[in-house]
Amino acid sequence: MSDHNNSPRGVAEPAIDIGDNYAFPSPSRPGQLVLVMTVFPNAQPGALFTDAASYRFRIRPVTIPAGGPGSSFGVGTDEYNVTCTFAAPAMMDDAGSPVQEGTCTLPNGATISFRVNDEQGAEAPGARVFAGLRMDPLFNDSTAYVETLATRRLAFQENAANGADGWDILGIVVELDVATMLGRAPGTLFAVASEVVTAGKYPVRVERVGRAFVKGQMLGELGDDTVNRDLDVRELWNQEDPFELAPNYLAAYRARLNSNLSVMDGIDEKIDWPVQRDGTHPLTELYLGDYLVVDAAKPYAEDSYLEIEQALLQGRAHKTCGGRSLNADAGDANLTFVITGGNGPRIDDGVDEATVRASESFPYLAPPNLDPAVAGHILAPSKVADQLAFLQQAGLASR
Amino acid sequence: MTTAGIIALGNLEARIRGQGGRAMSGLLAVAERAELVELIALRSHVLGCIADAERAAAMAHELVGEAPTDARAFLTRARMSGLFHRFVSALTDLDTAAAFGGDGVELDAERAAIYQALGRYDEAVAIRRRAVDRHADFNGLAALAGVYGDRGEMDQAERWFRAATRSYRETSPFPLAMLELQRGQLWMGHDDLRRARAWCDAAVRRLPAYAPAQGHRAELDAALGETPAAIARLRPLALASDDPDYATQLARILADAGEVEEAQIWRDRAEARYDDLVARHEEAFADHAAEFWLTVGGDRHRALRLARHNLSLRQTPRARALVRRAGGSALG
Repeated sequence: MSDHNNSPRGVAEPAIDIGDNYAFPSPSRPGQLVLVMTVFPNAQPGALFTDAASYRFRIRPVTIPAGGPGSSFGVGTDEYNVTCTFAAPAMMDDAGSPVQEGTCTLPNGATISFRVNDEQGAEAPGARVFAGLRMDPLFNDSTAYVETLATRRLAFQENAANGADGWDILGIVVELDVATMLGRAPGTLFAVASEVVTAGKYPVRVERVGRAFVKGQMLGELGDDTVNRDLDVRELWNQEDPFELAPNYLAAYRARLNSNLSVMDGIDEKIDWPVQRDGTHPLTELYLGDYLVVDAAKPYAEDSYLEIEQALLQGRAHKTCGGRSLNADAGDANLTFVITGGNGPRIDDGVDEATVRASESFPYLAPPNLDPAVAGHILAPSKVADQLAFLQQAGLASR
Repeated sequence: MTTAGIIALGNLEARIRGQGGRAMSGLLAVAERAELVELIALRSHVLGCIADAERAAAMAHELVGEAPTDARAFLTRARMSGLFHRFVSALTDLDTAAAFGGDGVELDAERAAIYQALGRYDEAVAIRRRAVDRHADFNGLAALAGVYGDRGEMDQAERWFRAATRSYRETSPFPLAMLELQRGQLWMGHDDLRRARAWCDAAVRRLPAYAPAQGHRAELDAALGETPAAIARLRPLALASDDPDYATQLARILADAGEVEEAQIWRDRAEARYDDLVARHEEAFADHAAEFWLTVGGDRHRALRLARHNLSLRQTPRARALVRRAGGSALG
């Protein structure tokens, strides 16, 4: 799965386990930027957000340098963060279920109070917010994805089953009026990451997600990283500031990305991303900056995931809003980008949309499946061979 | 700060409800089923629900039957056997899990827990110390504190309890509430009732639905002379829980307070339940049943027989003390 079940902490308490991070201009309300964070993979009715952590969208302005292979974005230092916190339920609804209230602090310091699972959400000048149980917008053939990485050959078939079929999640949706909330920024390009930080005297970042599939796949153990063959880097990665990696483990992350990205590039039996003599992969610096890049001035485009990144590497101006929309086929876009480099047909995992497509209007996420499919909250193994063994044992992959 | 008890318990229920349905359809992998067993065992402990513990143990047994070469299945069954004091079976399952390639660190931790329950404290300390030397995380530190506490070394225990608490960086309230209760129980055993109550109180504040913490808090209230508070705390527990320990405590406190009629109702209820539980799980309930017969049950010979059986299973200071008390009463 994208980032579902990819940290021991998240598995122990799924309410802090981020599944995905999305950022896109509103398809129905021009001038609005929509941010979505999903947590609690496989949530069931009754699931609530923790009151012991903050759920934050980290937003910084981005500049695009000259570009070309090996490039990465220039990230500014100003922040336009959105922070949601939740209270312990103090009352019950008519059905006897706990009622949870939340507070969203906006980039201008204003706050919005809202009630979890209120589909109307709540609004203040320049912003709207919703939080609650919804259907997981993720879709891909997760089994074939793992098989592809484990066997290093494309294992996808037409009309495959969605690995997240019928799942629910807890979603946080924030719609920001760009002029009101982000108007002080020098441009319209923004880096967006989702993170969960514990509350209290010693806050700890326990989860963070930028692009899809980074932690579980690109930082997973494919077996070719000769520097740190057996190191599960995901928990270390989670604790890093998305915009400023500490030097402590930077070399380990670089080694893992250089190795894994090269393995993935070879899956189609051709080299589209030639590495430098020292083994540096042209995408490594880009993926070290793990955040979505979205152009808030461009109109909504459904399948624009990674388009700005591709434009950067090709040294051309981007054409779309980039970011990641709820209906974007991020799995296909990711594999096509990393494996083919755009030199060849698009890789298609055989799953083209979610169980129910996300809406074009607030709160965007599809209503929850009230009889949701479920799976366990088991820590997804870091070793891709173990991931495949798990899927085989679950009867999801052939032996 | 940890997640509010009402949220944590609601999320635990939601996870069990969801996975339970899928498990019934045979759609969960071994690791997912093992997780479900452990979630149900956690709920059993928190809510004082023996039926849940029985369900978890039965599921673990089925899991081994269906995955007879899977280390995780044997580890899970070993944990559930430990809950029901079937220590020999638990150790055998751990050996089998090791033979099937189970994680050595995890198996060692489980083995140490069983040695501790058996009163083999030196062996348990040695394993726990090795684990902490290797990786001083919350689980390792808390376990080391617990075994020192059981060995009666409260200075050492407190040192490691403090280290464990300082190391905790998670949001789940369950591990910390359990640690606080364990600290309270140890101080109770050392007759420092006020310190014991403070720790039980901390566990109750963190997780108000935590039945064993509420039960011990009530026991301490009564011991400190706050009988009405103890009764008020125990009545809902005795009503809701299928663990007769709460009915026993309530009967004893009510009898001491002169509420003989109500005390008799709870005593009879506890007796029926202990008879049932001892018939099915004598190893697990011999000590608590002995306490029952020794106090409100009023059958010292029965108490002595059960206490001796308990001592035959585990040579802990508590088991020895129970035999001495029962023996003294039976002779007297």
